[in-house]
Amino acid sequence: MRGKTVHDGLTGEAVFLARGLTKTYGTGDAAVHALRDVDLEILAGEFIVLLGPSGSGKSTLLNILGGLDAPTSGDARYRDHQLTGASEAELTLYRREHVGFVFQFYNLIPSLTVRENVQLVAEIAPKPMKPEEAVELVGLSHRLDHFPAQLSGGEQQRVAVARAIVKLPDILLCDEPTGALDYDTGRVVLAAIQKVNAELGTTTIVITHNSAISGMAHRVLRMRDGRIVETEANSRRLDAKELVW
Amino acid sequence: MSMLDRKLFRDFWKLRAQAFAIMLLVGSGVALFVMSASNYLMLVSMQALHYESERFGDVFAQVKRAPLPLANQIAALDDVAAIETRIAQNVRVNRDDSRFPVAGRIVSIPANDQPQLNRLRLMSGRWIDPARPNEVIVNTSYAEARAVQLGERIEVFLNGRRQVFTIVGTAMAPEFVFASRSGVPLPDNKNYVVIWAGTDAVAAAFDMKGAFNDLVIRLAPGASEARLIPEIDRIIEPYGGLGAYGRDIHPSHRFVEDEIAEQRVTSIIAPLIFLGIASFLLNIALTRLVGAQREQIATLKALGYPDMPIFWHYLKLATLITVCGIFIGAILGGWLGRVMVDLYRPFFRFPDWNYTFRPWLPLLAGMLAVMAAILGVFNAVRHVVMQPAAIAMKPEIPVAQGGTLLERLMSRIVTSPRQLMALRALAGRPFRSLLTVFGLSLSVPIVALGVFWWDALGAMIDINFGRINRSHADVVLNHAVSTRAIREIESLPGVRFAEGQRIVPVRFRAGHRTYRGSVQGLEPGSELLVPRDADLAPIALPAEGVLLSRRLAARLGLSVGEPLRIEILEGARPSREIAITGLVDDILGLTAYMEIGALNRLLREGASVNALLLSVDGRDSELLWRRLKDFPAIEAFTPRETMFAAFNETIAGMILVSAAFLAGFGVLIAVGLVYNAARIALQEHAWELAGLRILGLTRAEVSRILFAELAIMAAVALPLGMVLSRWLIVFLLNLRQNDSFQMPAVVTPFTLGTSVLIVLGAIIMSAASIRRQVDAIDR
Repeated sequence: MRGKTVHDGLTGEAVFLARGLTKTYGTGDAAVHALRDVDLEILAGEFIVLLGPSGSGKSTLLNILGGLDAPTSGDARYRDHQLTGASEAELTLYRREHVGFVFQFYNLIPSLTVRENVQLVAEIAPKPMKPEEAVELVGLSHRLDHFPAQLSGGEQQRVAVARAIVKLPDILLCDEPTGALDYDTGRVVLAAIQKVNAELGTTTIVITHNSAISGMAHRVLRMRDGRIVETEANSRRLDAKELVW
Repeated sequence: MSMLDRKLFRDFWKLRAQAFAIMLLVGSGVALFVMSASNYLMLVSMQALHYESERFGDVFAQVKRAPLPLANQIAALDDVAAIETRIAQNVRVNRDDSRFPVAGRIVSIPANDQPQLNRLRLMSGRWIDPARPNEVIVNTSYAEARAVQLGERIEVFLNGRRQVFTIVGTAMAPEFVFASRSGVPLPDNKNYVVIWAGTDAVAAAFDMKGAFNDLVIRLAPGASEARLIPEIDRIIEPYGGLGAYGRDIHPSHRFVEDEIAEQRVTSIIAPLIFLGIASFLLNIALTRLVGAQREQIATLKALGYPDMPIFWHYLKLATLITVCGIFIGAILGGWLGRVMVDLYRPFFRFPDWNYTFRPWLPLLAGMLAVMAAILGVFNAVRHVVMQPAAIAMKPEIPVAQGGTLLERLMSRIVTSPRQLMALRALAGRPFRSLLTVFGLSLSVPIVALGVFWWDALGAMIDINFGRINRSHADVVLNHAVSTRAIREIESLPGVRFAEGQRIVPVRFRAGHRTYRGSVQGLEPGSELLVPRDADLAPIALPAEGVLLSRRLAARLGLSVGEPLRIEILEGARPSREIAITGLVDDILGLTAYMEIGALNRLLREGASVNALLLSVDGRDSELLWRRLKDFPAIEAFTPRETMFAAFNETIAGMILVSAAFLAGFGVLIAVGLVYNAARIALQEHAWELAGLRILGLTRAEVSRILFAELAIMAAVALPLGMVLSRWLIVFLLNLRQNDSFQMPAVVTPFTLGTSVLIVLGAIIMSAASIRRQVDAIDR
């Protein structure tokens, strides 16, 4: 299955491969079909924006790719990791070795400072960068010893980005990273994510319902009702600073 | 330090108020256990030490009069290691400062040295001087109760003759740890004295030169008491032997054993129940405390932390709190144990008080707590890590799939969203709510288990002194006399009427089981001593046959209608089988009643009495006491007030010492528990409540939502707690094994009311403190 694919100047192997992914919550009348028969292929180093309205299945897809959730049926693999049917321990190891997460609600540990929140992940990574460097990358060096409660929403989300990239992950998964942020702050966070993608070559998937963000991506996947309804490659990628919404 | 450990200490500091409440819970359970168990173990070891160092006998026997060489015959038996012969007699002591005659027992000792067995531990003064036959040593309990000074004189009626001795020392002895007249269930230190005098002096007074009437034997290693006793009985039989008996029915030993057995209930079992409850509550508290970190646990998991380090992290948090609690408990318990020793000292007459802190006690108690903590953490963390991280990171769905029956039912009645919040918080996770309600309800019995002792003791007094024994004074004569004595006493000023009693020492036998006690012959239709059953209904005295204590019947394995062999240990010592016609529920001692005429016939004697029960007109009582002191035939008399005092100074006092601690810790645990339940409810709702404040609800309105949850829980928990209290108290009392006194399982509205009020107070206090927290939410 693995092979070289060429997309708009980006050359790399397909790291993610998903076939017929389906996810159903509940049963009978109460059943909710979050994903319906999704096929997907993502290249190494690619910047993907998953676009779609609320309830379209974006988060479910991201969670399955990140090893946080299991599909009801179908097949998903990351390189040589089979994600469907993997045990809890295997998924944990997969997350630990390859995946960096940025959650919509930051999910920082309130009792740890910025440096410590980042250090928390660095401690369990095989070859992390220095926590201070990761924080530097998101431009928060002056906030190293602050607690999450002392930071603004945008700052907290940038800490979350630093926390996600400190272990130099192969994949960066961001669930509505700007969902809770204002325009300016949102752009700063996106710039940080873009920088990681560009400088570290991290395969990046960003979920958003804000179509303006799609300009940053190599590829934009539009989702509706649990399906990928449209795939679009950007001929020219915008810099985060150029985004307008 | 790893980041998780750093988080651990920060969380610990942030949760300090709650952690402290949990520590209080654990600490109280551990402290109570350490304190009580240390004292219990101390009592047991002091008893053993006293018995050993003063060489307490194993087998005892009384004879009428036996020549000294008989002792050699007994000493030659294989099972006998050592033998001590003595002269012991009941005497009366006159004290001008006492309104009542003081009863006593004089025991002979070698004038120049300690006896071989049943030695004395001299507590003050010196040994008697062989050259001065009028010197005596008295027991410390009496000396302290009467503030006896060394060198003081003591006037004793020996064999009807008055003799004055000089007190040169005070002593304790293993055979008189509790000293009381034979047949009297309670020791009375003030009105009972043990006098040790030189053998020659005692022998001369009782015309016992070259003879003895009291025998103490120590068994050889590996000897059989069961084999030895019949042999001794055979040897002493011709000399008026009253039957040898082992330590198990030695009066002082039996009372000490029963008191220690009672302490086993209040010092080991009750604290263990407390510790068990505290551990259970610790488990609930930690489950909820960790559960409140659900989102953080899920985040750690999402970030790639495997389950084990997450378990470890929370386990460390829980262990830190628990171990701090155990540490506090160990220190507090060790210290309070020392305080308790002084409170016990007046009750147990042991010479060597040697309190030791046993580190294994807090370790043992701590193990239970740590196990409960581990289980709690395991449950809470597993609950979160079992779910996919994506789901666990979201707040829990407040209502079970499809809604529980209760929730659906209630939501038809309750429609206001604010009430629904409280309702869903409870009904949405019914198992957790039930657990919390159950935990909360346990706070009632934990207080009640400390408080009910006052009830039980009150009921004992009420039943024994109000319903069964209704005399104003019990008079004991030094030998049986004609029933004319009743009329004679009745003619004294102040005596309304008197009833005669015949009390004889006996050995009850049923197959291989025996018990040494006494039979009381009562006048038919006796008003001053009324045998009753458990419902306090009087039981009529049979013309023939015997009424037996229910506990004694159980001990002998007998029931109503079955024959009981009664071997009289006095006079001609007849032995006869008599049918049990009824069972009585007595409070003090193990009694057996017969109609006095039937008993007289059994003893082959005319109508005679050796004890009297008096109904006295209170106005003339002082005059009466003075007159009674002049009757030489009266060996002792015990007015009701003395009985009360004796009861309060022995049974009640001892129980209340431990009960006070139980009650104190019960309140502490209840407060810790209630505060925790309320704190966690707040923590779980903090966000919602803050949101409501923003929506414009007042602080009072927001607090009310929180308190509604607490109120619903309390409304279920408190009545449940009352039921549990009853059940636990009956359970606890059923664990008692005690011949000396019976404790009725009485749970009065006072106990339940007090317990509920204390818990309610704790709830209101917690609510008030949380109200302040709610006020602080939006700041």
